[in-house]
Amino acid sequence: MKMKTLVSIIVAVLMFGNIAQAQKYITKNGNISFFSSMQLENIEAHNNQVNAAIDSKTGDFVIKVLIRSFEFEKALMQEHFNENYMESDKFPNATLSAKIKNISEIDFAKDGNYPAVVEGKLTIHGVTKEVAEKGTITIKEGKVNAASTFNVKIADYGIKIPNTVVNNISETLQIKVDLNMEPLK
Amino acid sequence: MKSWVKILIGLVIIAIIGAFLGYKFMYNKPHPNYENLEADFRIGAMELYNGFKTDPAAASQKYNGKIIEISGVMSNVEVVDSLTVAVFAFEEGMFGKEGIRVTMLPKFNDDLKNYPKNENIILKGFCSGYNDTDVILEKGSVVK
Repeated sequence: MKMKTLVSIIVAVLMFGNIAQAQKYITKNGNISFFSSMQLENIEAHNNQVNAAIDSKTGDFVIKVLIRSFEFEKALMQEHFNENYMESDKFPNATLSAKIKNISEIDFAKDGNYPAVVEGKLTIHGVTKEVAEKGTITIKEGKVNAASTFNVKIADYGIKIPNTVVNNISETLQIKVDLNMEPLK
Repeated sequence: MKSWVKILIGLVIIAIIGAFLGYKFMYNKPHPNYENLEADFRIGAMELYNGFKTDPAAASQKYNGKIIEISGVMSNVEVVDSLTVAVFAFEEGMFGKEGIRVTMLPKFNDDLKNYPKNENIILKGFCSGYNDTDVILEKGSVVK
């Protein structure tokens, strides 16, 4: 009988431990892409080295992006992006430090699609701005996908476009976020 | 038409064609063949990680955008979607294991997966930086 009680306690402790650990979901290979329509040619780049973490209890949501990890189809475009526009030597990272405001409405234990409202600070090119965006959290078999599409005004982040190409580049970039996260073990 | 005018017109046409071809060539120039690029630095994996950990700004200035050859023992190989990543883990942090992550060129995926455990490996890749948890190398290839 005593042994049974002991086993029950150990099982309960282990289960609690698993739940506590599962409150954080992470990825180190999330995807972020951006798109801008130009007069001559569209600009599109993809980054699949994105770090992201969600704390399902507090709603803390962090994304860290290395600017040099954005890949373009054209090598010259990639060079200009890093050297002339984003100055990635000077500003190697972009970060989002935010909270999912309606975290209590998301049941991480139950499969489904949940709308998410994210508010926080977005830092790009060394400039930090308050942002509020909508997205979707999808729970499936214990894994979490966070997805959102939103626009960013280039000028808001002090990114200067040379006069020679200013007419060809859109004032806003469409950013797509797609993060497949797993419980932190 | 005078001969010098003909020569001038010819030179202008050649210059225009040259400029057009040059622009087309530059605009469409291919991405580097990372596998064949000479390494800018050869360094132990742990030494590289410690460099970024202790002084991220100085290490970023030195290594970001460079081709780096690292030597060490892999902790594990991760397969994420279509990517194969060599992981050199040195500590635990808020994102789990932290260290160096080398995303391989697809042609080296199998070499990496079949590499003997606990054996030293030399990998080469393009350093895109440090994201406060890991040093990221991309376009990785197996050197030895």
